[in-house]
Amino acid sequence: MSSSSSETGRGTKTDLLYYRSSNGTMLLIKDLCAGYGKREIAHDISFTVSGGEVLTFIGQNGSGKSTLLKTLAGQIPALSGEILIDGVSVSELKRNDAAKLVSAMLTDRPKTDMMTCRDVVETGRYPYTGTFGLLGDADKRAVAEAMELTDSAELADCFFSEISDGQKQRVMLARAVAREPKILLLDEPTSFLDIHYKLTFLEMLDRLRRERNIAVVMSLHETELAAKISDTVLLLKGGKCTGLGTPAELLGKERLTEHFDVSEGLYNKYYG
Amino acid sequence: MNKRIIFSFALLGVLTIVFIVISISAGSAEISPAEVVKILLGGGSDDTAAMILLKIRLPRTLAAAVLGGALALSGYMLQTYFHNPIAGPFVLGISSGARLTVAIALILAARGAIVLNSALMAAAAFVGALIAMSAVLLMSSRIRSMSLLVVCGVMIGYICTAITDIIVNFADDSDIVNLRGWSVGTFSGFKTESLVVCAVIVFAALTAVFFLSKPISAYQLGESYAVDMGVNIKAVRIAMILLSSLLSGCVAAFAGPVTFVGIAVPFLVKMLFGTAKPIVMIPACFLGGAVFCIISDIIARTVISPSELGISTVTSVLGAPVVLMIMLRKNKEA
Repeated sequence: MSSSSSETGRGTKTDLLYYRSSNGTMLLIKDLCAGYGKREIAHDISFTVSGGEVLTFIGQNGSGKSTLLKTLAGQIPALSGEILIDGVSVSELKRNDAAKLVSAMLTDRPKTDMMTCRDVVETGRYPYTGTFGLLGDADKRAVAEAMELTDSAELADCFFSEISDGQKQRVMLARAVAREPKILLLDEPTSFLDIHYKLTFLEMLDRLRRERNIAVVMSLHETELAAKISDTVLLLKGGKCTGLGTPAELLGKERLTEHFDVSEGLYNKYYG
Repeated sequence: MNKRIIFSFALLGVLTIVFIVISISAGSAEISPAEVVKILLGGGSDDTAAMILLKIRLPRTLAAAVLGGALALSGYMLQTYFHNPIAGPFVLGISSGARLTVAIALILAARGAIVLNSALMAAAAFVGALIAMSAVLLMSSRIRSMSLLVVCGVMIGYICTAITDIIVNFADDSDIVNLRGWSVGTFSGFKTESLVVCAVIVFAALTAVFFLSKPISAYQLGESYAVDMGVNIKAVRIAMILLSSLLSGCVAAFAGPVTFVGIAVPFLVKMLFGTAKPIVMIPACFLGGAVFCIISDIIARTVISPSELGISTVTSVLGAPVVLMIMLRKNKEA
């Protein structure tokens, strides 16, 4: 497939392209440009993620992390480039089928008027339910499992609007997991969480990708945590990829101080 | 389904039937409830009583039920669409827009330019509702605050009302007898033919809305979540706009301006049922609106009998305090 500008994400018809790679690649991004309308924010990004792997975007505020994640989640159309999920271009996928494969946990909170946490998690099953959105046994089982897995089962009957930030984040993860997706997208999932919730959250994520072989793409501000959980990190600066590799290769002190534009002295004072 | 929802549906169902019977029994001509039942079942000896019941009171009562349900449903959809609990067909100017085009149609018909039947009148109202709705949508793309959007809607309503007044002033008195009749809003004098047209439109729209309850539930969570769930957001938005305009336009065409039902009823229904799930709210709002308008209509024609109050006078007294309550609650949350 050529990377012409006519391929703008979902819904548009392009020439069929099906190829499945043998190495378990779940998500393949090639020369992806992302942004809003004419304003291109992220340029020529390419990477692959396999099932069970975690790839983390590392970059300053405004470096294009969220824009990329929104594009992968289908929230905004790709400006150019390719997104292949399990070997199929997203533009070939029906909305509902794409939603079955990819679920996203976004930074904005859902509006949950009079909804219990279970109701919120149940919305994750949307692509699987019938005309009236009623949940079958399999759906209910997936919801219960997802809540179990994220330690949010005891919150099931609480109103979503009345629980703490850390609990909300767990419920939102349960919602994303209840989809039983192949790819999980997380935009700064640990922001606003205290250290306890940060660590338990990442522990859950680690369990998820191992037990369910989910490919995880996320953005994190905490480089020290990213180093522990990621298989691959992608350094983003000004919308350009400045490094793609293992945490060991890229998250050393020298590379980080340069990447985040801080002096080594300042870095050492607080992180060293 | 949980017990509260079943109980609430049963309650609304019983209330609807009870108030339909009360509404048919109430009026200046004394007809005993026993006789009412007899006539409704096809018996009864008194021809005058049967005439009053079947030709006057029954169409009026059913019109209040059908159009009340339509208003509440239209309000519910507008609130969902704008994520704004005080949005409604009247405050957003949509009813006034519908009234403007109906006024134009009535005058054209009086001049002999067109032959106006009920279906055409509904069509005119739909066009007017859509025009006003487009103006609101244009504003809503620039305005984030929910109260400001309502203020804009009220302004659009005033503009439409002013233009209607100007047109009416230039028309001959004889042209606009019809219009004056419903400029205050009333269910009186409802013809069976109009009732049939209304019922067909409203029940078709109700069915369509009900089939949209799944995507509406996704839309409720917010746009980005709906996209994440694989919803075609543009299609859902268009469907919601068309259906709510059709419903509120239909009411404006046949009953005139009926205020606050669209805001008060969905709120009260939500409190009663303890859920905001569309699959429950859609039929519940319809039933709730029906009960609310039947009661309002009974009050409108009995308190100062043999004269009558405008329906909006009653719905305002009953509905406006609820709207104030919603705003105070929102203020407390914020």
